[in-house]
Amino acid sequence: MKALCWTGVNQVAVEDVPEPRLLNRQDALIRVTASSVCGSDLHLLDGYVPTVMAGDVLGHEFVGEVVEVGPDVRERRVGERVTVCSIIGCGRCRYCLEGLWSLCDNTNPDPGFLEKLIGHATAGIFGYSHAMGGFAGSHAEYVRVPYADVNAFPVPENVPDSSAVFASDAVPTGWMGADMGGVGPGDVVAVWGCGGVGQMAALASLRMGAERVIAIDRFPERLAMAEGIGAQTLDYRRVDVLDALKELTGGRGPDVCIEAVGMESHGTGAQYAYDRVKQATRLQTDRGLALRQAVHACRKGGTVSVLGVYLGVVDKFPMGAVMNKGLTLRSGQQHGQRYIPMILDRMRQGDIDASHLLTHPLPLQDGPKGYELFKEKRDGCVRAVFHPGSHPASSQAASEPATADAPR
Amino acid sequence: MPASLMPLAPLRRPAARGRTHRGRNGLLLLGAAAAAAGAVAARRARPARPRQSTWYAVTVQADPAELTGPDRPDVLARLAERHDVRVTPAPGGRGAEIAVAAADGRTREEVRALKQLLETGEVLVVEGQPEGRRTMLGRAALPVFRRLARRGAR
Ligand SMILES: NC(=O)c1ccc[n+]([C@@H]2O[C@H](COP(=O)([O-])OP(=O)(O)OC[C@H]3O[C@@H](n4cnc5c(N)ncnc54)[C@H](O)[C@@H]3O)[C@@H](O)[C@H]2O)c1
Ligand SMILES: [Zn+2]
Ligand SMILES: [Zn+2]
Repeated sequence: MKALCWTGVNQVAVEDVPEPRLLNRQDALIRVTASSVCGSDLHLLDGYVPTVMAGDVLGHEFVGEVVEVGPDVRERRVGERVTVCSIIGCGRCRYCLEGLWSLCDNTNPDPGFLEKLIGHATAGIFGYSHAMGGFAGSHAEYVRVPYADVNAFPVPENVPDSSAVFASDAVPTGWMGADMGGVGPGDVVAVWGCGGVGQMAALASLRMGAERVIAIDRFPERLAMAEGIGAQTLDYRRVDVLDALKELTGGRGPDVCIEAVGMESHGTGAQYAYDRVKQATRLQTDRGLALRQAVHACRKGGTVSVLGVYLGVVDKFPMGAVMNKGLTLRSGQQHGQRYIPMILDRMRQGDIDASHLLTHPLPLQDGPKGYELFKEKRDGCVRAVFHPGSHPASSQAASEPATADAPR
Repeated sequence: MPASLMPLAPLRRPAARGRTHRGRNGLLLLGAAAAAAGAVAARRARPARPRQSTWYAVTVQADPAELTGPDRPDVLARLAERHDVRVTPAPGGRGAEIAVAAADGRTREEVRALKQLLETGEVLVVEGQPEGRRTMLGRAALPVFRRLARRGAR
């Protein structure tokens, strides 16, 4: 079958690879109908996540059809259309039982690397390096899903792939960002980053009753999407974000600051130059400009909720602000299994629609182009989604509509 | 359709597979990988080294009573023939702590597999998945990485 593989730093290619087979009794095989790029992939692509190897199949945000189930699969059935959580849980360890699925004890078969790096191993993730379990990703015609009963969720009939695909990763991640922030009525929430994750964090905050959401980015088309969701926006190249946030919040600062940027934060001025040099020379592994800003901006006693991915150390982390302002700092890879059924149900009711994120439906063959558009944020690309079944000429017909006019 | 003749993985990992490298070597290589990746671990001050615990411990979502006495799982019984094994209730009724004395890499792998088997009924396999073209170095390095990472740091 065809699959999109990592072939080197900033290089991907479509290759012929063997088809997956069931390897465990609780596995299912999924025929992938839509598989999205994600900001997390950029950290892989750019070489900031160790243990990615040439030949690894990428992709972790996907939807598809169950084509085969192992003998110990009880709930999932062949023929079902399912959204699969990007992060793999077992459903039975203490962490999964407590809803902290991305901390699963049992789905990273090769935990030693992370144990050495961060003290403990966390859950396996599809297509996300050998440190994260070495699972083949979803940018392929078929993918194997372990513990299928707890990781694959049936999609309601009226929810198109173009929205359901994001119930795998971007939507639950955004939801978790607001949830960790404890967002409630009357809150002012600021969100750094208007990619799929930041936009969905803004949307979740509004659904949880936030009075106002302020979304920060520099790409006009992304800012416009955030406005479409109901957020106010700030372009950090035009305004001083810290000043603007104070003004917009009567001097208090946002109650909840959600960081949806991650370790390759862009920025302006000396801090940004400093971060780039230190990261390039490996004196720091992660660039934390947006993170610092979120901590600085947050009101006294507020919560900073970090969704952006970090793997190593961030330089100049303002611990003094966390301590003296009495901030709560929360973070994590998404615990998708905890939110996905609710999200799919809200999609069914029309309360959540994420399909506007899908700006570039492409056949899998165009994977390299999709990543280039997404990485460079060219042509208004927010998420490129690959449709392995379709072919270049018929890609439009085979894919869901690229934009959604559905009410939000 | 993907291949449907599916030789399902055995419920338990075969106990012993080619085990040339053991503990130290393994950790060194693993450490090297981490450092090469620009990871953090490197800069630790090294005064006289504090003594490391010789016990390897995991917590399992299981009733401690099921892990002791004559009906305890075979794997645990066999481990106990080679090592001191301690099973104690985790605080707050949160499962059982299994600690194994003088655990080498292979034993750590076995203990982890035991935990996974007890909790989920199977041990996840990642060998045999689709993969694209590997470099020659990559092809050689992957099984080594997996073996070391599976045995784990401690
Ligand atoms: N926690 C999780 O489980 C999880 C899941 C998915 C993605 N993520 C992470 O979330 C982050 C965002 O993912 P995405 O898919 O939306 O990525 P994306 O690349 O589409 O979006 C990132 C956005 O951040 C903006 N940005 C960069 N620097 C900024 C700054 N200083 N201030 C404000 N905005 C800035 C960029 O312009 C871009 O629009 C990534 O780090 C990704 O790895 C985490
Ligand atoms: Zn993702
Ligand atoms: Zn688990």
